[in-house]
Amino acid sequence: MSNVQREIRVQRTRIAEDGSRSQELVSYQVPVNKRTTVLDALEYIRSELEPDLLYRHSCHHGSCGTCGMLINNAQKLACLTAIEEVSDDVVEVRALSTMNHIADLAVDPAPLFADFPRHATYLRESEASREAVPPEEIERFSRFEDCIECGLCVNSCPVTRRFMGPAALAAYRREIINRPERRDELLAEVDQEHGAWACDRALNCSRVCPTGVYPAKHIALLQRELEDSESSAGGKSGEGA
Amino acid sequence: MSKYHIVIIGGGGTGAALAHDLVQRGFRATLFERGELTSGTTGRHHGQLHSGARYAVGDREIARECMDETRILRTIAPESIESNYGLFVALTDEDVEFEPQFVAACREAGIPARRVSVAEARQMEPGLSPEIKKVVLVPDGTIDAWRLPLQFFATAKHAGAAVHSFTPVTGILRSNGMVTGVEVQDLRTRKRTQVHADLVINATGAWAGKVAALADVDLPLTPAPGTLVAVKDRLVNMVISHLHMPGDGDIVVPQRRLSIVGTTQWTTREPDLVRTPEDDISYLLREAARMVPAFENARVHAAWAAVRPLAGSSDSDARELSRDFQCIDHAVTDGVEGFISVTGGKATVLRAMAEKVVNLTCRKLGINAACRTAEMPLLSHRAYFSLSEAS
Repeated sequence: MSNVQREIRVQRTRIAEDGSRSQELVSYQVPVNKRTTVLDALEYIRSELEPDLLYRHSCHHGSCGTCGMLINNAQKLACLTAIEEVSDDVVEVRALSTMNHIADLAVDPAPLFADFPRHATYLRESEASREAVPPEEIERFSRFEDCIECGLCVNSCPVTRRFMGPAALAAYRREIINRPERRDELLAEVDQEHGAWACDRALNCSRVCPTGVYPAKHIALLQRELEDSESSAGGKSGEGA
Repeated sequence: MSKYHIVIIGGGGTGAALAHDLVQRGFRATLFERGELTSGTTGRHHGQLHSGARYAVGDREIARECMDETRILRTIAPESIESNYGLFVALTDEDVEFEPQFVAACREAGIPARRVSVAEARQMEPGLSPEIKKVVLVPDGTIDAWRLPLQFFATAKHAGAAVHSFTPVTGILRSNGMVTGVEVQDLRTRKRTQVHADLVINATGAWAGKVAALADVDLPLTPAPGTLVAVKDRLVNMVISHLHMPGDGDIVVPQRRLSIVGTTQWTTREPDLVRTPEDDISYLLREAARMVPAFENARVHAAWAAVRPLAGSSDSDARELSRDFQCIDHAVTDGVEGFISVTGGKATVLRAMAEKVVNLTCRKLGINAACRTAEMPLLSHRAYFSLSEAS
């Protein structure tokens, strides 16, 4: 495949002698072909041009969730985003502002996990098992959750007041499905002004999710479960419980 | 409790398991990784949890260790494993002839391999080719290549290990023929500092030769990249392997709603910027389709390369070099005290590798502390990013 040179603008952190930090966009020329991803381009820049460029990456196939970035202002995984799909002009790459910034494109994802359900399992039943018969050695076919904890949904969410956020709420609903015995305890934890009720239904989260979790759907279903359980308990339904 | 300070270079699976084992045995441990954790080779693994069946004919001891570690990982880190077992499928008459030797070798290695009929196998995996001739069931599985090491890192961190990503080692300090520490640069602040250590462990995989050179030690090692391809859709639930001697394109590893095919292998001198050969992608999909025909029409989700470290230096065929785990005490090989290099091994046996290296560390420093990592459940991967252990 033939390579063409493309301009990639990357957020860099300048650190002055006195330790003060500033952000700027720096342009690099990168050879790309039709398969070259934004992550490939960053790997090229680090290995050939800027050994100190900071960015997160691990699996290179959209399973670890470490390489979430703003690519031409859209929330994307760098490893699954081909340069040619983004634009035939300049491609601009910036760090996710909703994580704790480290430097350049690298972030600490700790804020993402702050409101996740405690002790949540990361395994679910595999849907393929409906027609398949597992070997007698195991009870069922299982697989990892779809959510790769990349934080793109949280970054895309327009809600600015305090909010547990789409990733955590989707994780709550998945945990209720995986472990129905925890339902009441978990529903109580999301039944808060900054929980399931803070969603404005913009649906950005479902649009940007790279693994098809559809967090907005889970939040709507949590709200419905809350309303159902409150009406069946004779309590008030609605906001601000 | 020992006050010895051990510095680990490299934040891959080996470094993760080392940090955990070291702090459990009372050492102070500090780990430096130049980029994000597991961003070198570990995270790019196809994720096969090896029962050892694949290695049984070639090396019983490696196979036995894989089986032991599979059992242990299922106990200490069940949340990072899709424990769905695996099927070895014979495609040719030659494979059928090989099958008795394969099953016997598995059993000698303690792997509970079980013959299943083709009909039974296709009930377990309706996507298997009707052309398959024989099938053997083994306890393979799928690892989350990011979250399993992160569970080790999380547990190590909460027990006191210091883990520094984005902090390359820029020099190895030596005094009187002895390694006494490292110089690092924290790229978050761009500041350089010196860190003293009673022992430095080089766990940088395919980069170990470059790191050893910082201590003026020659470590013959060949970086060997291989291509992996992920297609959209979970075409199978179980790991599917071609029942023959290990070769290219003979493993299908399902994970989430993806199916990954591995792998090819070539050698390089430079592990940093490896391009994925376009021909490998079509080759891998074609090989996988022999076992699971749906690969023929599957959409490619991602194609990437991961670089294994092969012990020894060679410009010829990489398969001649050992895939075994190497633990080199540079006091013995190079007359340099206080410096150990660990390379190779498999993701499945990361805990066992760490146990052996920490055993050596204890012997060298005169410490008597038993390894407890085989019995100790690991914290959640999320605990790595949280101050609370309960995540």
